[in-house]
Amino acid sequence: MIEITGLTKSFGPNQVLRGVNLTVQTGDSMVVIGGSGSGKSVLIKHIIGLLRPDAGMVLIDGTDISTLKDKELYEIRRKFGMLFQGAALFDSMSVWENVGFALLRSGMREREAKVVAMEKLRLVGLKDVEDKMPSELSGGMRKRVGLARAIAHNPEILLYDEPTTGLDPILADSINELIIRMREKMKVTSVAITHDMHSAYRIADRIAMLFEGRIVLEGTPDEIKNTSNDLVKQFITGSAQGPIKVEGISF
Amino acid sequence: MYNFLLALGQTLIRFTKITGEIVLLLWTVLREFLLPPYEIKNTFKQAMEIGIKSVPVALVTAVFTGMVLALQTVTGFKRFGAESLVGSVVALSMTREMGPVLTGLVVAGRAGAAMAAELGTMRVTEQIDALETLAVKPVKYLVTPRFTSAIFMMPALTILSDFVGILGGYAVAVWLFGMSSVLYWRRAWDNLELSDIYNGLIKAAFFGGAVAIVSCYKGFYTEGGAEGVGKATTGAVVISFMTILISDYFLTAWLFK
Ligand SMILES: Nc1ncnc2c1ncn2[C@@H]1O[C@H](COP(=O)(O)OP(=O)(O)OP(=O)(O)O)[C@@H](O)[C@H]1O
Ligand SMILES: [Mg+2]
Repeated sequence: MIEITGLTKSFGPNQVLRGVNLTVQTGDSMVVIGGSGSGKSVLIKHIIGLLRPDAGMVLIDGTDISTLKDKELYEIRRKFGMLFQGAALFDSMSVWENVGFALLRSGMREREAKVVAMEKLRLVGLKDVEDKMPSELSGGMRKRVGLARAIAHNPEILLYDEPTTGLDPILADSINELIIRMREKMKVTSVAITHDMHSAYRIADRIAMLFEGRIVLEGTPDEIKNTSNDLVKQFITGSAQGPIKVEGISF
Repeated sequence: MYNFLLALGQTLIRFTKITGEIVLLLWTVLREFLLPPYEIKNTFKQAMEIGIKSVPVALVTAVFTGMVLALQTVTGFKRFGAESLVGSVVALSMTREMGPVLTGLVVAGRAGAAMAAELGTMRVTEQIDALETLAVKPVKYLVTPRFTSAIFMMPALTILSDFVGILGGYAVAVWLFGMSSVLYWRRAWDNLELSDIYNGLIKAAFFGGAVAIVSCYKGFYTEGGAEGVGKATTGAVVISFMTILISDYFLTAWLFK
């Protein structure tokens, strides 16, 4: 279970998170939506301890990850898999070495790690790319390699930062399906960030919207669809008219 | 006046902060070096990167330095009839001073810049964050191997430079100025002490460690996209150069009493 309470984070004068409260039950799939720059990536990085909060707590199965010592932090991270918004592939390594990285580090033999890596690559719909370098791949392929790397060590908690952005609709849906399958078969707990409402409805047990540094609404996909909250309504219908103002653009 | 003091104060604070952060990084690097798992494969790869790839530039630098030393000595020392000392001058200058310092500068320009650019790119593209999410300590994985291999490769490169520099001096003294080959070697050999060589190598090891830690620091804490990577790389080279040249004086005063 992931419990976030009163999470605050600023970068200099820029107050990004202003008291986020969010709970994700074990085995649940939470989708966080919100505008560009609203702090979704910052939020997800707090869950895995890449950023330390200014105030508040992030409990992972009861352990506050934000106060852990290095050793315990790296221990608890083995529970996690994370897909970065920009994939963050290691560009000095081949595709399969990227995917098998955690396995190789934990002492698995090269040949076995490569077999597992290729199996994970197949899961995300990639084949014959294992010996390529990341720079030879398209953006969508990189994203899928990132996803394969995130699931390679069978984590209990998966964090997806915009898993379907930059993919064509058919591929996007196959990634949605993969995420659903991960939850159903492997019972993973997941937090996904997305702008793509279609994908959000597909993969979410619950959806939360981040706005001005707080969670303004949290509920099941149906509750979100039928909400009377103007903010959320405007966001899910993708309208420029409403309480959310787009700064700097005028007609 | 007020503005001047303000700027001075800010520079001082920045300098202290950076020094503190570098010392902290160095501390982590040393601790991770002692703790398993040991990054043997990684260190070997970095040693190749730092050592082998710097060989050509280091050799060209050394041979021409040896040559110019010989040229200057022959023409300059002629004024007081001491041009026969050319072998000694070249050998002592190379081993005590030119070998370590110039090799250090070459390694700073080549390997140091590469370290800052590589780690900087990894930082801004979130590859360093990705390492953390895969439960790998970035300092252990990235900085420790670069640091240790630089400490070992610098002396190795330097001894090569020393030798090649002395050969360069030989070429000028013997082939160009018709000096006796025996005299050159005798002068070079008789006045050279083992301590000249190994103290030079101690300097080299220090420079290697300094270049690596400074460059890795710059890369590791890069901010601000591609532009930031460029700045980090320039900064790494400039600070490495300064560190080598300034510490060289103090190391010399301490090592060669
Ligand atoms: N390491 C950092 N240092 C300084 N500012 C940061 C840092 N990371 C994020 N920010 C700032 O925090 C704010 C939120 O960024 P974040 O990346 O979380 O947005 P996001 O909701 O993920 O947006 P998008 O949908 O475009 O990915 C931005 O204003 C950004 O400039
Ligand atoms: Mg983001």
